[in-house]
Amino acid sequence: MSAYRVHRNSQRIDSQSPLKFTFDGKQMQGFAGDTLASALIANGVKLIGRSFKYGRPRGIIGHGSEEPNALIQLETGAYTVPDLKATQVELYHGLSATTTTGFPSLHFDLKGMAGTFARFMPPGFYYKTFMGPVKAAWPLYEKMIRMAAGYGRAPVEADPEYYDHLHHHVDVLVVGGGACGLWAATLAGRAGLKTLLVDEQNEAGGWMLSDASARIDGKPAMQWVNERLAELDSLGNVTVLRRTTAFALHEQNLVQALELCQDHLPIGSRNPGQPRQRLHKIRAHHVVLAAGAIERPLVYGNNDRPGVMTAAAGQTYLNRYGVAVGRNVLLMTHNDAAYDAARDLAEAGSRVTLIDTRLRGAADWRQQQAKQAGVELMLGYGIAQVHGKTAVSGAQLVQLDPFTNTVRGKGPRLSADSILSSGGLTSTVHLFCHNTGRPYWKEESLSFVVPDEGRQGISCAGAITGRWELSSALAQTHAATSAMLAGFGRSTHGDCPQGDEHEVAATRRLFRVPDGLAEGHGAKAFVDFQNDVSAADIHLAVRENYRSIEHVKRYTALGFGTDQGKLSNVNGFAIAAEALGKPISAVGTTTYRPAYTPVTFGALAGSHKADTFEPRRYTAMQASHLKRGALFETVGQWMRPWYFPQGKETMHQAVDRECLATRNSVGVMDASTLGKIDVKGPDAREFLNRIYSNAWSKLDPGKCRYGLMLDENGMVMDDGVTACIADDHFHMTTTTGGAARVLNWLERWHQTEWPELQVRFTSTTDHWSTTAVVGPKSRAVLQKLCSDIDLSAENFKFMDWREGTVAGVPAKVFRISFSGELAYEINVDACYGHYIWEQVMAAGDEFGITPYGTETMHVLRAEKGFIIVGQDTDGSMTPMDLAMGWAVGMKKPFSFLGKRSLSRSDTVRSDRKQLVGLYTEDPKVVLTEGAQILSTPDATPPAAMQGHVTSSYHSAFLGRSIAMAVLKGGSQRSGDTVYVWAQGKMHPAKVVSSVFVDQEGVRQHA
Amino acid sequence: MPNFQPYLQSPLVNFNLPAETVPADSSQQVRANELPLLGYIAIRGELADAAIAAAVSSVTGASVPAAGQFSTGDAGVLVWVSPDELLLVTRRAELAQRLAAFEAAFAGLFAHAVDNSGGLTCLSLSGSEHVTVLRHMGVYDFESLAVGQAVSTVLGKAGGTVLRLEDDGVFLIIRRSFADYLWLLLRKVCTPYRFAVAKLAESGSHPLLRLLDKQHAAPARKAVTA
Repeated sequence: MSAYRVHRNSQRIDSQSPLKFTFDGKQMQGFAGDTLASALIANGVKLIGRSFKYGRPRGIIGHGSEEPNALIQLETGAYTVPDLKATQVELYHGLSATTTTGFPSLHFDLKGMAGTFARFMPPGFYYKTFMGPVKAAWPLYEKMIRMAAGYGRAPVEADPEYYDHLHHHVDVLVVGGGACGLWAATLAGRAGLKTLLVDEQNEAGGWMLSDASARIDGKPAMQWVNERLAELDSLGNVTVLRRTTAFALHEQNLVQALELCQDHLPIGSRNPGQPRQRLHKIRAHHVVLAAGAIERPLVYGNNDRPGVMTAAAGQTYLNRYGVAVGRNVLLMTHNDAAYDAARDLAEAGSRVTLIDTRLRGAADWRQQQAKQAGVELMLGYGIAQVHGKTAVSGAQLVQLDPFTNTVRGKGPRLSADSILSSGGLTSTVHLFCHNTGRPYWKEESLSFVVPDEGRQGISCAGAITGRWELSSALAQTHAATSAMLAGFGRSTHGDCPQGDEHEVAATRRLFRVPDGLAEGHGAKAFVDFQNDVSAADIHLAVRENYRSIEHVKRYTALGFGTDQGKLSNVNGFAIAAEALGKPISAVGTTTYRPAYTPVTFGALAGSHKADTFEPRRYTAMQASHLKRGALFETVGQWMRPWYFPQGKETMHQAVDRECLATRNSVGVMDASTLGKIDVKGPDAREFLNRIYSNAWSKLDPGKCRYGLMLDENGMVMDDGVTACIADDHFHMTTTTGGAARVLNWLERWHQTEWPELQVRFTSTTDHWSTTAVVGPKSRAVLQKLCSDIDLSAENFKFMDWREGTVAGVPAKVFRISFSGELAYEINVDACYGHYIWEQVMAAGDEFGITPYGTETMHVLRAEKGFIIVGQDTDGSMTPMDLAMGWAVGMKKPFSFLGKRSLSRSDTVRSDRKQLVGLYTEDPKVVLTEGAQILSTPDATPPAAMQGHVTSSYHSAFLGRSIAMAVLKGGSQRSGDTVYVWAQGKMHPAKVVSSVFVDQEGVRQHA
Repeated sequence: MPNFQPYLQSPLVNFNLPAETVPADSSQQVRANELPLLGYIAIRGELADAAIAAAVSSVTGASVPAAGQFSTGDAGVLVWVSPDELLLVTRRAELAQRLAAFEAAFAGLFAHAVDNSGGLTCLSLSGSEHVTVLRHMGVYDFESLAVGQAVSTVLGKAGGTVLRLEDDGVFLIIRRSFADYLWLLLRKVCTPYRFAVAKLAESGSHPLLRLLDKQHAAPARKAVTA
């Protein structure tokens, strides 16, 4: 147990508030303000996981979202969350966490044994090995690998917590609550702009929380931070969201941010009435990216051993959380800033050796400070290799050549319980790049950075532009924000805050610390810890001729992890550049994509789940259907009755009963879901002539007509009955699922091609409730409800409609039929829908009136050979293919949509698939819908497919099965025997007319 | 013919809101209720045409509202929908009379009125958090919605028109078939707030509330769709 608690004046934990928690079942203690990571380190935990590929022991490396190793499983049961970074989990009382890797256990890991053979596991290893000669054994390997690989387990119980979304529209969104973000928000707020600041941490301040010595305007930086926060709180036009990570930036400055509202509270203390997490969707006129920078480690041998960290992590654990990461610390750096970490650790009592890769070291004042604190300086050295396996025990140093990144001579071997390194800072450019922005390589900062001037709608402030010194970062922020305010026509209120000016020595341009051996021959030096990508792997990828960094990434898995390469990418790009012999700027970066940090599915779903995941549309008769025991199916978001089982009836039994009742007496169906469009205007008739394939010029008021709507290719896209209300007025119906599409279609043709036609379309789908009364007794039922419409067969013919009163309610009654029976559809204002349905049920009682749903509707219409667009058609069926040439008016004076295509050579082919009926030889066999049709009983591949079954049912009325199918040249094959193959069975069937019932139409004209 | 006694049901009938309704008070952060069974007439015609605008005004007593706004008049509330569409919210009892008046006023013009009363309903949404609740549901900048404005937008995954008649609250005009979904969604996004199905304010001269017809109060039914 080498790490230990110290008291720091800068610490943000409350040492008076101890918290108990468990890790892998062990009781531990931390303090309010700790992260799980800081508490684990303080409790002496070093080994926290096994690596993905080699099973190497791993510990905590970072202190925030950059952490690649410390992926833990938080809590259990329904509350469990996999793969959280321990560095981002705020500690609470009673927290329970477990490790997520190690098979069969963390301390005895089979893959770790394999790690011994790591040199036989190069990039592409899995493909090269298991997919090759031993292909047959792959399923077995895969099973083993999957057991051993991966992190954590997804919860299997429903998430009991509440999540929601909140939309924002602001003038200015500031991303990042460090010194620069706070200053940008302050200036925007003072200028009176509606400003939102989001910050990832539990408290604002950014790096100021870790850097105890920073000063702004002559006072401690955190004092300045608190003054800014107090000012922002006092401004009514500024909102500050803490624990809120902006994880995606989309077109037009839509930024998505995840707020962890209650994750920091013990589960029992969370308010179930408040969201656990909230997804903010922020639309900002202007975005200020002040996301800062993340320190990257240097790349050196065995740099993944538990106890190895970034210098920034060591400094943060010390100053922010009061945890010294080791008693005997080695710190390797190529820059001045890391001296502060060494100084602070030494002040806190650790023995610190600072290994500066530069022969001259840092600026004098920093060297003096470090020495005064007790730091031992070793200039011109590097760490070749870390010693220790499950914990750091020391390191082998080498003396570096001062001019080239090579080894000049041997160095001492030092013992240590903690090793820190600083490879400089990497700007957090992700959001700038999410919608195709690209960063550029700034050599003097040794980082990919974003431009000082930002881009349209986006300003960049502070370290994200590659300014590492607080003074210059604040100066750039002030200038960039002032420019933004000028764009808003506002002035800047306040002088630029002054950070202390420091003399800084030049950084050494170093990524991979040499060990004196050819790459691949020394100890593994990791670049990407989560995916086990070493410097040698990148060199190998280049040797195997991967030239693009995107390909190198995919071959090696560099930057693919849940950390999204925050520590590894720049080192990887630099090493690839070296291997390719190109400058880094020419290698470029991989693509930064959302999300910056992982987002829970719960937050993404928000309120859009369960009964509000997808709108469920109901008709006015819903209560009636429920009362009668309907089961429902979803049709175009509508909840339609499917069938109405009685007692223990199966669907088959219920549908047989419903069909027979309708054919023999009377049935009733809710047809309210059909799309309805009011078409009105002097040119309404002409418009219908163009949009439908058949003719509308001579349809008189009081009459209805069935119409087919074709697309430009002549293929059927929708159908329905349209009634002529008046010479210039029509009531169009569409399929249930096609209503919105058809309305758009009408508007599109009217607005773009025929604006000269005077006609308007108004959706009335929801206005009308439609009760279809179907069957030989339907007239008798209606006669009991309606006295002002002459219902006689002579005066109210098939395909007529009449206006009148039904059960005392104004109604439009259409004598149309989707079953081939005598039938009436009663249309009323939907507020009367429930009433009319119940009146029809009461009036039909003496005839045994039977409500039926979509399943019976399907059988009835198939018996009559009526198509369903989308079931019997698939976007490649013309009216002729459907034997519906009667619904095409080729002689209309003006062309209609699809007409030209109907005479194309392909459309007039005689061997197109055409609609037919099928009778199976065995009348009991109900064919499978989608089954393939063959000409011979031999299904040996390759077998020529002749078509497929589109609709298939048992017809209780006919006492046998029926099917509709599309068959090549089907219109000429009546009487042929074909063979229908599905699920390993072959059924002979005879080609017949697709009209199975009442071919003469006697019933519907009754 | 028997003595038929037709009844009307509003789209939210199955939630039985009357049974849940409590008096409004200031502790409620969000208040909502349905204004059931109003009359809705879609008016189609080129609004820029002075003759059409004059005809509309003659029937409604309201001026044609500017884009994104509504106006009020004797006939009710006139909402701008698009350059060639308005929605008149009126008393249900006056529907036939209004439709006839439009037909007469539009004679000789390319304009007409379409009854959509069965297809729409109206919700009242008020309280200190009512804007926040809208921000939970939809992408529109509801904080900027000023008195006099009406915006057609997306709430969750359904459409709706939001009218602001006063600072304290808005009215939502929604489609019948989506009403169930939107009510469930509204209740869900109100989870963090003190919510009540609150008694509607006294109608007085309120442009919308005065259109409610007390005799058409929806019959109480058990909630069956949830």
